[in-house]
Amino acid sequence: MSQSLTITLITGRTLDQGRGREEGKFTDLFYRSTAIVELDPDDFVRLNPKGNVKVKTDYGEVVVQPIQSSMRHPGIAFIPMGPWANIVIDPNTRGSGMPTFKGVKATIEATSEPVLKLDDLILRYYGREVKIPPVPDPPSSSIGERVVEAVPCPYCGCLCDDIIATVRDGKIVSVKGGCALSNSKFLHYNDGRIAAPMMRVNGGFKPISLEEAVRKASEILVNSKYPLLYGWSNTSIQALRVGIELTELLGGVIDNTTATCHGPTVQGIHYTGTITSTLGQMRNRADLMIFWGCNPLNAHPKHASRYSATARGVYVKSRRERKIVVVDVRETATSRMADLFIKVEPGKDYELITALRMALQDYDIEQDFVAGVSREKVYELADIMRTAKFGVLFFGLGVTMSEGKERNIEEVEKLVQDLNLWTKFVLLAMRGHFNVTGANAATLWITGYPYAVDFSRGFPRYNPSITSGTELLINGDVDAALIVASDPAAHFPRKAVESLLRIPTIVVDPKWSVTASIADIVIPCAYAGIECEGTAYRMDGVPLRLRKIVDPPVGIVSDVDVLNMILNEVKRIVGG
Amino acid sequence: MEILVRNGFVFDPLNNVNGEVLDIAIKNGKIVDSSEINISKAKIIDASGKTVMPGGVDIHSHIAGPKVNTGRLMRPEDHYVSFMKFIPGVRRSGTGKTTPSTGIIGYKYARMGWTTVIEPATPPLETRHTHEELDDIPIIDKACFPLLDTNWFVMKYVSEKDYGKCAAYVAWILEAIKGYAIKIVDPGCAELWSYGRGYNINIDDQIPPYNVTPREIVRTLCKVSKILNLPHTIHIHCNRLGIPGNYETTLETMKSVADIGDGVNMHVTHCQFNAYAGESWPTLESGSESIAKYVNKRRHVTLDIGQIIFGGATTMTADASFEFALYHMYRGKWSSKDVEAESASGIVPVKYKKKSLVNALQWCIGLELALLIENPWKVLLTTDHPNGGPFTRYPWVISWVMSRKAREEVLKNINKKAYRRAILPSIDREYSLYDVVVMTRAAPAKLAGLNSKGHLGVGADADVAIYNINPREINPSRDYDKIIKAFRHAYCTIKNGEIVVLNGEVVKTIYGKTFYVKVEGMDELKNKVKSEVMERFKEWYSVDVRSYEIADYELRNPYPVMVKASG
Repeated sequence: MSQSLTITLITGRTLDQGRGREEGKFTDLFYRSTAIVELDPDDFVRLNPKGNVKVKTDYGEVVVQPIQSSMRHPGIAFIPMGPWANIVIDPNTRGSGMPTFKGVKATIEATSEPVLKLDDLILRYYGREVKIPPVPDPPSSSIGERVVEAVPCPYCGCLCDDIIATVRDGKIVSVKGGCALSNSKFLHYNDGRIAAPMMRVNGGFKPISLEEAVRKASEILVNSKYPLLYGWSNTSIQALRVGIELTELLGGVIDNTTATCHGPTVQGIHYTGTITSTLGQMRNRADLMIFWGCNPLNAHPKHASRYSATARGVYVKSRRERKIVVVDVRETATSRMADLFIKVEPGKDYELITALRMALQDYDIEQDFVAGVSREKVYELADIMRTAKFGVLFFGLGVTMSEGKERNIEEVEKLVQDLNLWTKFVLLAMRGHFNVTGANAATLWITGYPYAVDFSRGFPRYNPSITSGTELLINGDVDAALIVASDPAAHFPRKAVESLLRIPTIVVDPKWSVTASIADIVIPCAYAGIECEGTAYRMDGVPLRLRKIVDPPVGIVSDVDVLNMILNEVKRIVGG
Repeated sequence: MEILVRNGFVFDPLNNVNGEVLDIAIKNGKIVDSSEINISKAKIIDASGKTVMPGGVDIHSHIAGPKVNTGRLMRPEDHYVSFMKFIPGVRRSGTGKTTPSTGIIGYKYARMGWTTVIEPATPPLETRHTHEELDDIPIIDKACFPLLDTNWFVMKYVSEKDYGKCAAYVAWILEAIKGYAIKIVDPGCAELWSYGRGYNINIDDQIPPYNVTPREIVRTLCKVSKILNLPHTIHIHCNRLGIPGNYETTLETMKSVADIGDGVNMHVTHCQFNAYAGESWPTLESGSESIAKYVNKRRHVTLDIGQIIFGGATTMTADASFEFALYHMYRGKWSSKDVEAESASGIVPVKYKKKSLVNALQWCIGLELALLIENPWKVLLTTDHPNGGPFTRYPWVISWVMSRKAREEVLKNINKKAYRRAILPSIDREYSLYDVVVMTRAAPAKLAGLNSKGHLGVGADADVAIYNINPREINPSRDYDKIIKAFRHAYCTIKNGEIVVLNGEVVKTIYGKTFYVKVEGMDELKNKVKSEVMERFKEWYSVDVRSYEIADYELRNPYPVMVKASG
């Protein structure tokens, strides 16, 4: 019998996984950066794998490449979010709409089996053969060279608008001011593009005209009793608006990627409200910044230098004038630059937050350790918090995805409300996709609810434990799907992806995503923020105008146009 | 489309029409002379036995923007209880009662016969959001007032006493973010709230970082508004809102600008919340009489009442420190947000109760202001939606100002101590229908400088409301129920020359204009200020100034109002 380890599995973003996302899901970079498991150095030595390892949970098993972490996190294994992780994560949302991506019990053992490439993985686990048609040549024109300034970066929720792009012959040839993720987007936007509208025929894709694709897509949607329109966080508000109108007309459900990132945050705010500020206010004034369950150096690379830890503010001028605290289940790049790192046991954030609230009110904490943190440290952190002049608590998926979910957020919000009795304190969710905040905002103002909105009764209804995209797919409740600017097949648990394969699926996306590769109708569109304009909302709610830097490839229109064509066709069919 | 509204009792105070039976002709979205339309082809609306008036104009209702949306976010329970169904080709769906979704806002205003509504508080940095929501509100025309009092550039120019530069800055920002007038909220509070302070600041307290006083801010912005000839004067939520004894601060704020320019130079908004006498909540008294006395005597101040409605409400204001105080009182949900170098906001859901001394007095004070101020041109009807209550309760407020009996029905159930302390029970005055039309149409349009609104003269926008009120048969004083019923569901609402509501139901979805101000002149000073803004912007803000500015084409239907700066 081979040596095996029992560990707690967590998933999350990494810089390379993020780059791989832009350079193409079927690239070697994505494979190398995503089909891996990071192990604590001691755990690694104990397991001593000669080749690959097999990760087993109650929900499945998958072979990945083991990597010895440069940081210590005994008992915890980390797999970057993606198709490999999806096989083994816990699809249970416990009524929140958020599958349990973090804190899954797993065993790891050495294996001689190979790590499946993405297309083999899809064939093996989902039984669908992936045949991606040839990718077109990038467009070119002879306009010459020009420089575009102040471009908002359409990658993450930071929406840094200080990017300078140089365009030559109709293509972006270089960018200044961006991070690794930003560069991967601006310099690889022509990689893996979908050449033309396609339809699945005999297991492969056949190019069809845009009109035909729109007609077929509309027929699928009209014939569906209960379609799901999912995605929306990587495109403009303008696209989402059309999507909501279409969903209302179809009597379906519209959901955005909030379901798998900060859905619990939104639900926490339902209970308590939220105490926040814009990023500039934090940068200008905050002398204490706490990063809880988030790792901006990997997921939001310019956050620290532009808005938070090391940014130059009006009143707090540098890193030296700020205290940085990191609370996480493991050491991260971010925790390494902290003044204080507090290591919390996985899934025990709620306990620690509650203890902090008690400490703030000078209640006695009877336990020596809370969530793996000593009582003295809890008191110390509480004191650091209430003696800050202006404190900020940034929190990420470490708090929303693990045990407790929306209750964690409710407690965090209450902690910050309590802190305002002592001093000034705000908090902010580290939102991932560049317009997920906007997707929530616009869905909210149009329907009254932020995501997971059901129109089956002719008016908006909301219950994420039933109407979120994750739940609907996990439970097999929808009979058609339109996926816009998102890749649920790469980020949803296996059960949901299986369900997606059983129903007709339409994808509108600039690129070959995993979802596009298994879809029935694929309609390419221009990139919002590179090839067409629109509005996007930064993680703090500040709305920015996305810029058009280059023309889209010939024959490719924006998703707003594609969706309007579908909307009009559906209206024509149903006579609305 | 041509429409002829026939034989209605027409109320059009701006043209001195008081209930005369007249025809109103409409062509291409405008009111025209009857001779200009082809009667055989025009759509005829028989308004005989009905009342015809201009579409309602609401100068202060929080309908769009970041804080309104956060209000929706933190109150899903408000959305479960109220919804509107989708009708294909006719109207969109929506939810929400005190924090309704965009569709509901437009439809419910139109259903009551209101056709123009102004969002009165938007932080400039997030005003693109405000416009996107305004764009999604159907039927009504709209505008928004940016928050400018604690803007660092404004405070800097105030401290330098440089009225010219301050004016040029305001001119720049109004055009840059497509705003309509200067909004001032508890001047200075947002800056102090940046460090968790700012409650109960008074007009002569010093505000960092430039150590200016609210008085200086208000006076400067009042002068700026005169220099720029803005269509609407400064719109102010005074210091010490919601604090017993604050009527003195309100009077002091009014007096602070008494010497500036001619005509109206200050609009005090939701004045009810700023008209409290007494020293504490237990000793709360009405301060309405002193305020009414001042407003009756002077010509430079107008106000809107900010009436509270018993029941649920969602308070939301840029007065973040006051919301923090409210959170202490209610201990329920609370939201707050600071906006760098500009502004702040807070939100707390509340419930106004008849049996509460404070709430009952608040209810009385709002109506006292409406009834003690003699001239209806000076006092507008608002509930400061959704702070005092939802705008959908305007019909009740109308009944209270029109009928002593309607008031008594409420008064007999309120807190007894409040009843004894209030002035309202002793007031006999009842508004006429003409007065109501002034208060809800003619006066707000005139004060907002919307010359094509609020009247039915030739050339006016064809925004018309027709109600099932026969002024010869209905006595509002006695038949107040019929007044409520009529105003809840207009018989017909015409917006921009199109019939959008018929028999109290929405029949068509259209989208209105967004007004904003463009100032001509002062070019040299504007350029100078723009370069000063560019210099500081990167240091003060976390976005590029090019992201801050909003292009005309980003709005669905922008409508610039041109004004010429003097001097």
